Amino acid sequence: MITKYLNKIYFLLGFILIFSSCTNDLNVIPKDDDEFLSEDFYSNPGAYEQALAGVYGNLSLTGNDPSSSNISGIDAGTSQYGRVLWYLQDLSADEALWSYENDPGTKEIQRNIWTPANPVFRGMYGRAMFSVALANDFLRQSTDDKLAARGHTSAVSAEIVAYRAEARLLRALSYYHLMDLFGKAAFVTEADPVGTYQAPEYNRAQLFDFIESELLAIEGDLKPARSNQYGRADKGVAWMILAKIYLNAEVYIGTNRYADCITYSNKIINGGYNLASNYALNFMADNDFNEAGTNEIIFPLVSDGVVTQNYGPTTVIINGEVGSIEANGSDLGVGGWGGALRVRKQFAEKFLDQGNDDRNTLITDGRDINIVDVSDRDSGYIITKYSNKTSTGAAGSDPTFVDTDFPLFRLADVYLMYAEAFLRGGGGSESEALGYVNDVRQRAHASAISSNQLTLSFLIDERSRELHWEAHRRQDLIRFGLYSGGNYNWAWKGNGANGIAIDKHMEVYPLPSESIAANPNLTQNPGY
Amino acid sequence: MKNFKLFLLTVIVFLPLSLFAQQTITGKVTEKATGSELPGVGIIIKGTVKGTSTDFDGNYSLENLNQGDVLVFSYIGFTTLEVTVGANATINVALNQDTETLDEIVLIGYGTTTIKDATGSVAAITEKDFNQGNIVSPANLITGRVAGVSIVSDGAPGGGSAIRIRGGSSLGASNDPLIVIDGMPISNTSADGSRGILASINPNDIESFSILKDASSTAIYGSRASNGVIIISTKKGKGTFRAEYNVKAGLSTLASKVDVFTADEYRALIAEIRPDDVSMLGNANTDWQNEIYQEKVSIDHSLSLSGQLFNSMPTRFSFGYTDQPGLRKTSSFERISSKLSLNPTFLDDHLKVNINASLNSEANRFAEGVEGSAIYMDPTQPVYDANSPFGGFFEYHTNGVANNANRNPLARLLQKVDKSVINRFYGNVKLDYKLHFFPDVRAVLNIGYDKSKGEGSEDRPTTSINGYSPDGGTTFLGTRRDYTSELTNSLLDGYFVYNKELADVNIEVTAGYSYQKFKKEGFNSFNKVNPQDKAPDVATDPDIVLIGFFGRTNLSFMDKYLVTLSYRRDGTSRFSKDNRWGNFPAAALAWKISEEDFLKDSNTISNLKLRLGWGIAGQQDISASYAFLGRTILSSNISQYIFGNTPILTAIPQTRLEDLKWEETTTYNAGLDYGLFNNKVSGSLEVYLKESKDLLANVAISDGSNFSNSGFQNIGKFTSKGIEFSIGSDIINTDDLKIDVNYNVSLNQTKIDKLALNQDIRVGGIGGGTGGTAQLHSEGFAPFSYYVYKQLYDVSGAPIEGAYADLNQDGIINDIDRYLYKKPNADVLMGLQTNVNYKAFDMSFTLRASIGNYVYNNVNSSRAQYDNLQDVTALGNLPVSVLETGFYSTSNVIISDIYIENASFLKMDNVTLGYTFRGFNNKDESSSIRLWTGVENVFTITNYTGLDPEIFGDPANNNYGIDNTIYPRPRTFLLGANIKF
Repeated sequence: MITKYLNKIYFLLGFILIFSSCTNDLNVIPKDDDEFLSEDFYSNPGAYEQALAGVYGNLSLTGNDPSSSNISGIDAGTSQYGRVLWYLQDLSADEALWSYENDPGTKEIQRNIWTPANPVFRGMYGRAMFSVALANDFLRQSTDDKLAARGHTSAVSAEIVAYRAEARLLRALSYYHLMDLFGKAAFVTEADPVGTYQAPEYNRAQLFDFIESELLAIEGDLKPARSNQYGRADKGVAWMILAKIYLNAEVYIGTNRYADCITYSNKIINGGYNLASNYALNFMADNDFNEAGTNEIIFPLVSDGVVTQNYGPTTVIINGEVGSIEANGSDLGVGGWGGALRVRKQFAEKFLDQGNDDRNTLITDGRDINIVDVSDRDSGYIITKYSNKTSTGAAGSDPTFVDTDFPLFRLADVYLMYAEAFLRGGGGSESEALGYVNDVRQRAHASAISSNQLTLSFLIDERSRELHWEAHRRQDLIRFGLYSGGNYNWAWKGNGANGIAIDKHMEVYPLPSESIAANPNLTQNPGY
Repeated sequence: MKNFKLFLLTVIVFLPLSLFAQQTITGKVTEKATGSELPGVGIIIKGTVKGTSTDFDGNYSLENLNQGDVLVFSYIGFTTLEVTVGANATINVALNQDTETLDEIVLIGYGTTTIKDATGSVAAITEKDFNQGNIVSPANLITGRVAGVSIVSDGAPGGGSAIRIRGGSSLGASNDPLIVIDGMPISNTSADGSRGILASINPNDIESFSILKDASSTAIYGSRASNGVIIISTKKGKGTFRAEYNVKAGLSTLASKVDVFTADEYRALIAEIRPDDVSMLGNANTDWQNEIYQEKVSIDHSLSLSGQLFNSMPTRFSFGYTDQPGLRKTSSFERISSKLSLNPTFLDDHLKVNINASLNSEANRFAEGVEGSAIYMDPTQPVYDANSPFGGFFEYHTNGVANNANRNPLARLLQKVDKSVINRFYGNVKLDYKLHFFPDVRAVLNIGYDKSKGEGSEDRPTTSINGYSPDGGTTFLGTRRDYTSELTNSLLDGYFVYNKELADVNIEVTAGYSYQKFKKEGFNSFNKVNPQDKAPDVATDPDIVLIGFFGRTNLSFMDKYLVTLSYRRDGTSRFSKDNRWGNFPAAALAWKISEEDFLKDSNTISNLKLRLGWGIAGQQDISASYAFLGRTILSSNISQYIFGNTPILTAIPQTRLEDLKWEETTTYNAGLDYGLFNNKVSGSLEVYLKESKDLLANVAISDGSNFSNSGFQNIGKFTSKGIEFSIGSDIINTDDLKIDVNYNVSLNQTKIDKLALNQDIRVGGIGGGTGGTAQLHSEGFAPFSYYVYKQLYDVSGAPIEGAYADLNQDGIINDIDRYLYKKPNADVLMGLQTNVNYKAFDMSFTLRASIGNYVYNNVNSSRAQYDNLQDVTALGNLPVSVLETGFYSTSNVIISDIYIENASFLKMDNVTLGYTFRGFNNKDESSSIRLWTGVENVFTITNYTGLDPEIFGDPANNNYGIDNTIYPRPRTFLLGANIKF
């Protein structure tokens, strides 16, 4: 009897054992040829360059193709780093208007009626913080200990010194944008865990200190100015970010740092950069390798119609420049989006009656300078500053995704920064300041100015003439005290066709509501 | 001839037995209605375990009987009959088909029960209750039939269905119920190029559906059961040789279209509103919506043969062929299906073997959604243009260079060949072995395998304006893409069932193990004529492995009090080691009140059973397959970064979330099953409360801490509560006239109770603008509530363009002023089915109603504004609803609540009329020919101004209740024949 029961029990136990041995199958691993366990991936010496390309790539790419995104809450194409930056620096100011206001967020941005729910904020904050996360992960994966543990040779490790410095520079660049736009950000470094870590909030002063100390710390590890591969950052880029934060230090931290701005502007100017012979070269399909690319552009956001396809600022601007009436896409090497972008009256006026100027690309025929109805794309002037054609007139490789790189930093800006820092009492010499300004003007075949014309009010307009649609405008207007308040009203400012004063609190954007919800350490900016 | 052979065999087998019998009863069991023999009828001597069953011809023989013994004849679907043995050695009985259905077998997880013994909320629909008409997709067999089950079908031929049981219980994870076919849970994803997970299955092969609605019945399926379970059982062979052939033909017609301006109205409109553009008008009169649709005949053949193979193996073989052209030109669905099932028994019936094997093929041609383009296309332009370089189709171009404008919708259809073929094999082998040394225990082993292989291609000629153009519109190189896809799903279930009947207690204990693995791999060539497209790539999805241990006890006391306890422990490969195991208990009590003395003899209340159930079921079906692992992905060739001259593939670390765990849904269910007047009227009433916690949803992650700004997290709570009531009656049941009515109604309310950090989630992507959303998940509201501006109206009641209520009263109208208004979920769903049989005539219809469901009319919101009369280089048509609003600018009005419309409806899904000739094969009474005709999608009564108030959407893709044009559901006129012999 007992054996009979034992038999049954053995039978049952055997049955159960056979089946339960399979629970190890729950440990699955990637099977796709493009996907790896990170630990396996970094055992390959070539991985570090690809990972660094990933950190850089976040400035241009949104995902595995132009219509996919590795961040959410915003349309994939719109989430491109340079594009959201451009929206927040240029669309919210006096230079540009986006015609398709049913694209979420654009209407509120360009009419200065934004709220923390605006998807463009989620895109900008998320994209910039994604850069921070990518840089942090690169730094985590490329420590000496990890390299040694994975058995990489010293040749690999030597190359990685500069890689690490560049990753830190890109992190500082993102924090610079966050400091400028939002006045604060969550502060995350490679020492923090991956997951849902709720980082502490850094205010503007803390971010300023971090950016400054970080750039100074890596200066030695970065390659000399103009010596790195095109597309990669060098000392010139670090100096540029420093010059920018010093120029805006009164806005950021209430301290005058114009002298430091002069110092770092000089470093760049002496770094071997030169203005391209022709203004337009900076904005053409071959601006990576033409004269502008080799001499003037300090740091580009790379775009390519074949291998780096994206809906970034140059793709959007060039397709958007194509007029609703003119249908001039073939002149610009693109299909065009039917009048998506136009300029506001106040920008156009900076060129009108100013004589000859190559930088004036306005198309005015048959158009009213005023835009009374934003959705009427036949009103308002348009421009053709950027082009998807090369300096030899050939069209770019794709009619939608342009080859034109976005010149995030270029020498002409430094010249004008020097002149401004000089005027603001940062030292330097007047003759140099005047010379730089006239270099910029004469390159565009505009008339030279005299020293008594060199004033701050001249410079803010000159910056617009030279640097319009290059993602500087909002920052510049704030520094000149012209952004908030009613000193300077432009069309559709504050949601009025002729412009209405806006409140001072709008000089920093609100943090996106989703980001605050996900990280309660963050606090909203006053006024929102 | 065949029958004769069977008879001989019977004689040979049974004759020797009867020779030794002392007192032997023989007889024949037939079906009362038709007189045909019933094989497999169980016959037991009451109070003993002795018995036999009828052979293939309905004959039986029992020995060693004494006078006074009571023989109990029982057969599934028939009323059990008791006959006392008298002097007569022959007892022939005729069994009545059981209209009470209380003894009907109902499939539940890893077992069966009967309606009268069911403790959970289980609805069974068998073949006789299936919807009639043009059923191509299996789910449509039960549309509107079950309280609390909503089935919304796609209008595309062979299209899938969105099935929701009790409104679903997830926010960001799948809301699809688990579908189990012959014991095998199927994957909720289908091969690329397939119309859907059930598309390849021939509805004619389905015998029954069992719908498990509450967790006390679903929890045995553990991690996948929170959205309910649908168990599908396919037909098996039995009894004498039977053949059945069904054929039907249908003519699909367009039921309605979006009301836009006619060519002449449009000319007048342009002259009035854009007089400068009159020169852009053409001379044609084109109804573009008429151009894109076709009226075509579909055909469906189905043949089945069943009987005994080698005289001992119950076998069924079926073959089906469906050819269904779609309403949208060029779209079509063709299916060839074959299925074999074998159900032999061995070792003195100790080992029952059940083998099902299906080999199906699905051939599709897809037609892209060109409705938007047809609505917008200028009606004064012609369809064809002899001078057009684009294959003779009218297109907007300047000297052959394409303009950036709307494309000819008919050319988009006719010039694109988008085809696929999916071959699918699925089947299972089930061994059910009653242990020789311990007959109270059965060991069951079920091995299942489901493999789909798809192949497809997409081609456009070089004359198509929609192909790739290397130079922005001057030359066109077409499109040439092909892809393959392969899915496998393998299953191994093993369990023991212990069954003991004691004096007043019946015990059934089930314990077992389940292993299932899903694999997917696909190849995509991308557009081969576009050198700038992605390079060809093989994509291999990570395996999904699910392992479960389960147990269940059913106790029955005095056949009055029933208890069910079940438990499952489930592991999934989706979560990390620490979180991958989940426990899913359930309990249910049932009290057969009508068995109590005080009701036992009641003539009014013939059946009354109270059920109480509780259980926890899970959900893990999210798009993230293994977010807990640290992974890195290398980019495609078009998403590289350039260092110097060299493009470098970018490596991107992937979102890593180690804390993800199951979503859990606890259900409380109370049910009352009733039968009145000898069960002439019967039905049930159910009340339930479902609470989902640890909801999985893709939400914001603290920026910078991970490799995205969002990812799946367990973020909130959700409740769903409802009442379901069903009533059915064979109002009239005479020999000549039978009228049978079934009605069900369900009330359901869903609400988000909690979202982590009070974080609202924007959902509901809309067309018109890039990346807009019109819905919000917000605490205290129904999921997918619309999130819109409150429209202001002038004194005459006309809406004021762009004027909205300043709800936060800050003087600025911006997105803080949006409010939550209505939701897509219906409050009330109803279904009514009626079958009428008069002599040889039969008639049936199904009505379905939905109340309180709202739709965002994206067709109007993104198009019905005067500014859309002109795009860049072309004119465009508008929905005539613009006349009511007078709106000009889309961006001013697209988020207005004016576009949220009440989409309550009453639909007649189908009506059929048939006539049956019986006994045409004069020797065989069970032979019959039924000829029938019917209409599918007969009418819709609604106030919704769009095409169809039923929007086919997928909440897992954030698409629910947004009408941005749909594939219209055709109205189909049918003719069919059903031949049995």
